[in-house]
Amino acid sequence: MAIIERPSTELEVSITPSVVVPSTTLGNLRRPVQSTGWKSWLFTVDHKKIGIMYGVFAMIFFIIGGVEALLMRLQLAAPDGKALSADLYNQMFTMHGTTMVFLFAMPMAAAFANYFLPLQIGARDVAFPRMNALGLWFLVVGGLVLNAAWFLGGAADGGWFMYAPNSGPVFSPSNGVDFWTLGLQIAGLGSLIGSINLIVTVLNMRAPGMTMMKLPVFTWMILVVQFLLVFSLPVITVALVLLMFQRSFGATFFDVAQGADPLLWQHLFWIFGHPEVYVLILPAFGIISEVLPTFSRKPLFGYPFVVFSGAAIGFVGFGVWAHHMFAAGLGPVSVAVFSIATMAIAIPTGVKIFNWTLTMWGGKIWFTTAMKFAIGLVVLFTIGGLSGVTHSVAPSDTQQTDTYYIVAHFHYVLFGGMVFGLFSGFYYWWPKMFGKMLNERLGSWNFWLMFIGMNMTFGPMHILGLQGQPRRMYVWTEARAGEGFFNFGFWNLISSIGSFVLALSVLLFLINVVQTARKGKQAPLDPWDARTLEWITTSPPKEHNFDRIPTVHHLDEFFHRKYVEDEATHTMKAIATGEEIVRNEEANAESHIHLPSASYWPLVLAIGVGVLGLGVLYGVPIMVLGAAIVLLSSFGWVMEPSVAEDSDYDPPAGGTSKELASHG
Amino acid sequence: MSRHAMSARNAHRVRALAITKLVGASIFLAGCAKDAPQDVFQPKGENAADINNLQYMVFGIAGVVGVIMTVLFVVTMTKFRDKGQPIPEQSHGKPALEITLTIIPALILSVVGVFTFRGVFDLAETKDTELVINVTGQQWWWEYDYPVQGDWGIDKPIITSGQLVMPAGTKVLIRETSRDVIHSYWIPALNGKRDAVPGRIHTLRLHADNPGIYAGQCTEFCGLSHGNMRMEAVALSKEDFATWVTNQQAAYKEPEKDSLAEQGEAVFLNQCVRCHQVNGLKKADGTAAIAAPDENVYAGAAPNLSKFMSRNTFAGATWDLLKKDCRGNVWDAKSEEFGAKYLEGVSADCLNEVDLRRWLRNAPAMKPMYADPTKLEPTDGKYRGMPYLALSESDIDKLVAYLLTLK
Amino acid sequence: MITTGSKYFYGVTALATIAMVLYMVLVNPNDIGAVALGSLASAAALLGGLTSFTRDSTAHTAKEAVAAAEQPAPAAVWPLIVAIGIVMLVFGIATNPIVFVLGIVALVAGGVEWLVQDYASRASSDSTFNSQLRGRLLHPLEFPVAAAVIVGIIAISFSRIMLNISKSAGAVVFIIVSSLILVVGFLVVLKPNMRGRAVGALCSVGAVALIGAGIVTGISGERAELVEAAEEDHYSHMACGAEADKYFDKHPNNAVSLKSATLATITVRDGKAVATLSGLDTPVETVTIPRSNNVQVLFRNMDTEEHRLVAELGEKTVADTGVKEKVEQCTQLTSEDQVNVLTLNIPKSSEAAGPYKFIVPGLEGQEIEVYVP
Repeated sequence: MAIIERPSTELEVSITPSVVVPSTTLGNLRRPVQSTGWKSWLFTVDHKKIGIMYGVFAMIFFIIGGVEALLMRLQLAAPDGKALSADLYNQMFTMHGTTMVFLFAMPMAAAFANYFLPLQIGARDVAFPRMNALGLWFLVVGGLVLNAAWFLGGAADGGWFMYAPNSGPVFSPSNGVDFWTLGLQIAGLGSLIGSINLIVTVLNMRAPGMTMMKLPVFTWMILVVQFLLVFSLPVITVALVLLMFQRSFGATFFDVAQGADPLLWQHLFWIFGHPEVYVLILPAFGIISEVLPTFSRKPLFGYPFVVFSGAAIGFVGFGVWAHHMFAAGLGPVSVAVFSIATMAIAIPTGVKIFNWTLTMWGGKIWFTTAMKFAIGLVVLFTIGGLSGVTHSVAPSDTQQTDTYYIVAHFHYVLFGGMVFGLFSGFYYWWPKMFGKMLNERLGSWNFWLMFIGMNMTFGPMHILGLQGQPRRMYVWTEARAGEGFFNFGFWNLISSIGSFVLALSVLLFLINVVQTARKGKQAPLDPWDARTLEWITTSPPKEHNFDRIPTVHHLDEFFHRKYVEDEATHTMKAIATGEEIVRNEEANAESHIHLPSASYWPLVLAIGVGVLGLGVLYGVPIMVLGAAIVLLSSFGWVMEPSVAEDSDYDPPAGGTSKELASHG
Repeated sequence: MSRHAMSARNAHRVRALAITKLVGASIFLAGCAKDAPQDVFQPKGENAADINNLQYMVFGIAGVVGVIMTVLFVVTMTKFRDKGQPIPEQSHGKPALEITLTIIPALILSVVGVFTFRGVFDLAETKDTELVINVTGQQWWWEYDYPVQGDWGIDKPIITSGQLVMPAGTKVLIRETSRDVIHSYWIPALNGKRDAVPGRIHTLRLHADNPGIYAGQCTEFCGLSHGNMRMEAVALSKEDFATWVTNQQAAYKEPEKDSLAEQGEAVFLNQCVRCHQVNGLKKADGTAAIAAPDENVYAGAAPNLSKFMSRNTFAGATWDLLKKDCRGNVWDAKSEEFGAKYLEGVSADCLNEVDLRRWLRNAPAMKPMYADPTKLEPTDGKYRGMPYLALSESDIDKLVAYLLTLK
Repeated sequence: MITTGSKYFYGVTALATIAMVLYMVLVNPNDIGAVALGSLASAAALLGGLTSFTRDSTAHTAKEAVAAAEQPAPAAVWPLIVAIGIVMLVFGIATNPIVFVLGIVALVAGGVEWLVQDYASRASSDSTFNSQLRGRLLHPLEFPVAAAVIVGIIAISFSRIMLNISKSAGAVVFIIVSSLILVVGFLVVLKPNMRGRAVGALCSVGAVALIGAGIVTGISGERAELVEAAEEDHYSHMACGAEADKYFDKHPNNAVSLKSATLATITVRDGKAVATLSGLDTPVETVTIPRSNNVQVLFRNMDTEEHRLVAELGEKTVADTGVKEKVEQCTQLTSEDQVNVLTLNIPKSSEAAGPYKFIVPGLEGQEIEVYVP
């Protein structure tokens, strides 16, 4: 590690220039400089590699969360299920929710954001590359801590919103909830760091000419999401800290016998939890706002409306949290006010649906797999949105909340909405990220199975909920099942079968990925006739992203470099292919490119924080060890110069600084 | 190109199906599902009917909007699929259309909002309440106690569990709270749900038009046995309710001398009375046997078993005290005959001995509870649920005989 | 690469770690001994790391040595602090352990600063670079520690002041101080060229005033009523009888949790006690209290005379003597238009002992029966 740079020979300003020492670094540990192999991934600060790693970890947790869901559906396929015990079932749904929200959905959105946000704004990397790596490693450590509970006495069992006082040490005596609070705090740190980083990146590092109203919609939505995170994560952190102090250090924040009001937790949780819903869905909205125009060959209809409705959703999203608590006994005034506020938020959401539909209207629609998933999102989210409107009517919600109708609603919104958006993103951007096309035939199977499986799984849940099946019950009974067409038995079985169809569709996607990696066909530079900046570079992009930072003149810059409008017919005329444009950029490459070097410290620091967290559970000495690692790595980090010395490279990097950059 | 077109056609067909399924389902649900006891579209009282009207309105609007959107999607995807047309004009939208499309949903929602506002305040009305019942949730059962109310002949408090008994055609106010974690009281046929939060008292109005029995279930996740926490509301005509009140307040009937039941009373005094109160039961020395659940149960209470056999469920309303056909007899009774059948209680012939004995033999094996005596450290040695009591089979025989006398 | 000097520290780290593990396994994993050994290991590891990074301070060239020799040593306060630390250490052993601990702190802080400054001052012949080097090594340590100390001093001083002066004076002080801070802030913003010395002077004056006032008020102690309240056991106002506590919270009905969990309100008006159940308007003659629940009963006095509410909850037998004594719970004496609260938790049925009672001493025949089912 190079802790201190001595003054370099170029900077001779000393009074006694003759005796200034040569440019060397103090210390004898080198910075990691590998550009291939596992070390190049572990210690990287490259936003693209970090993005891919976010994606891989998120996918792993998607599979874990999915298996948890399958086990639950297995248990509920028939009355008095025996697949899981009550205790295990409670752990399953708690961890399914937690994993899907915090370890799959947010990281997967972070994967896309990390990879494509700098590319879409024409930047070489994010503003704080080492912080970016730290965010990733915090997430990974947080996820590991959360799931370590499975092997250390049982996972958290209070439901993903962990209502007090059921989460207290008396009512949940295993260590599961402790791991949960610690894991989420660590993962939350990662999200917070990441969000500040991306905000700074968007505000400061846009390519010349890219005004805020020329930002691609995906970047806009990610920006809104980061603001939501910055304002909502501190609230959940406060709640988690209170819970941790109650469980580990004998505090009584939620102890009713000591005069606490358990509704405090609910307010804290949902002030975070509702914006969190938009944190999950807006990235998907952003993705399909790229995909729909691309495959309709038309710009997004009403770009400013989509952008401002996204911002409005983000803003109003902070004012509707109590609609999760209509049955909690808040009193009629609060309930009425939050009911109306909730209806208000339906308006900007509706605007988005109209805009997407009108984007396709008058277009030239190309039904690729990415497009199918995007259309799937619009359709399924519309259904989820309409069932959402039925919740906004508070009295009606008191019949629906905490039943399967709610489960159906939020899975239509989050699976039908978010997951379909993410899959649309996979198929759309895969050639950009890996230079190979995902198989469209398998993709089509993937889409149709997922669409059918999704409707089979969650569609019947509307019926089950309206028939009065509460959520989170480890068994359901014949006595309350009814006998008519809407009996629990039939629809629970359909739902369980549907969940396995869904699982099959995800499996097909994984097969597609493996097949593409092994013998996928090479992707052309511009396979979709795309519209935005990330396509003005090679696939996959070089480490420095762009050979020349593009200057932006239009909202869909790349498209307008390829086509001009025919004045007479108002149709578009091709003037250049994407290939030609990229080659032209390469020919005019900039010669001096500065990129940050890799670093050990983000990984070490994140591990230190994980050890510190375990110390809360397993004693002070482990805490001391964790604190020591954190302290040491903070020092290492602070003293590390941003670029490694030439002599740290093996063989030493010589020549132009561009070559150095491609290794750093 | 043709494949794209074909998949597009398939796409909208399936999508249309999905949406009409939802809309159709909600309309269908309202109409003809008769057999699901917790169906939210079958109101049996004023409050639930108010909610149901709002539900019809909002589901109707959602359905209409859903149909319109479906048509829009289908037309868009068929009309504008790639048929080889040139790349269209790169227009960025029409503000006038945008504003219109923003205002229309806003108008629809403000109408819904007005009705919602009224509904919320109507349902919160408590001033014209006729009868008050305290409802207390505890892991994993509900306790009902009836405060002294002379108008209803309730001269000393009545306490029961599992089944809420109320007069039909009466505005009943329940005052909910909880002794441990948050539970939620929900009888879909009578009203929406309301959480029972420890340290707070929440009120909820129940009203049943006709005598009958209405099912419900705890709907706030409340720990291990959340799935086994049920409740039933029994509405009786005012005369039948008066009979029920009189019976609940009637003095304790000692079991016959030298009967199996008398031996059962001894077992009860020896084992069960540690937690379970039976009003009027006397110890051998003639003093009243007062249960001390607060010394053995973490939340501080266990079901009061006075007049146990006048209810027909036990253990958090999860198991029936009536055999299947006897239960059907009560549940399916016409509303005019219901009261008489319910007031019969549980006779020896109708008793569901299988489940009751299983429960007495080993309760935690039947219903997951924190009742392992070796794992009570977090609760200072107190139980959360009924522990395994190691009763002998003959003790169980005696207890069953005794319990049958508590009527 | 492990340098000669760092080997010593790494050795100490390894030994301390082994010792800690052994100690945890054999003695007690949560004991202070394990913490001490763990701390030793971490400290040695830190020092070892530093010595490795700096290559034992031997990475000087001949040129450098000459250059360093040419530089006059910069002024340093650290020798003085170390000396003070030693004095305090010795003094502390004889007098007060706090002085001893402060001595250790001064010694360690001074020592670390001295070592690093000395190292940095000989790093090169460029004094600007040298001072930057010192900053780079020490600022990550100095800034957080200094910030914590400053925040601590402000918090402690301010709390001493607020505990000393009366409640109303406290409000005035708060307003004045916060307005002053606001005014100074405005001045600084409006006159950017005023920065520097003037701001420093203002801050110093403020700091001196705050710390001075803190010391003075700290020595003179808390205000009388707080002292009294502590002696009277402020929070045990449940016992009936003489009025024990004149600092009882007069506004219990302002607490949200009380409002949301009130079972009944008992109002005294024109010499009559009337009970109402929350949620209902009509008065009731009996109150039924759910068993084993924390139940709040509000007592509102609308008469000019002072009253209290007493709950008579039967009798209990004192275990040691066999004597029966009354179980009672009372509110405080409540003056006109005031509200007090009674929190009851009755686990057992009133079945045997007959109905309990709410009475208002001084008002005859105004009993309200209390049932526990």
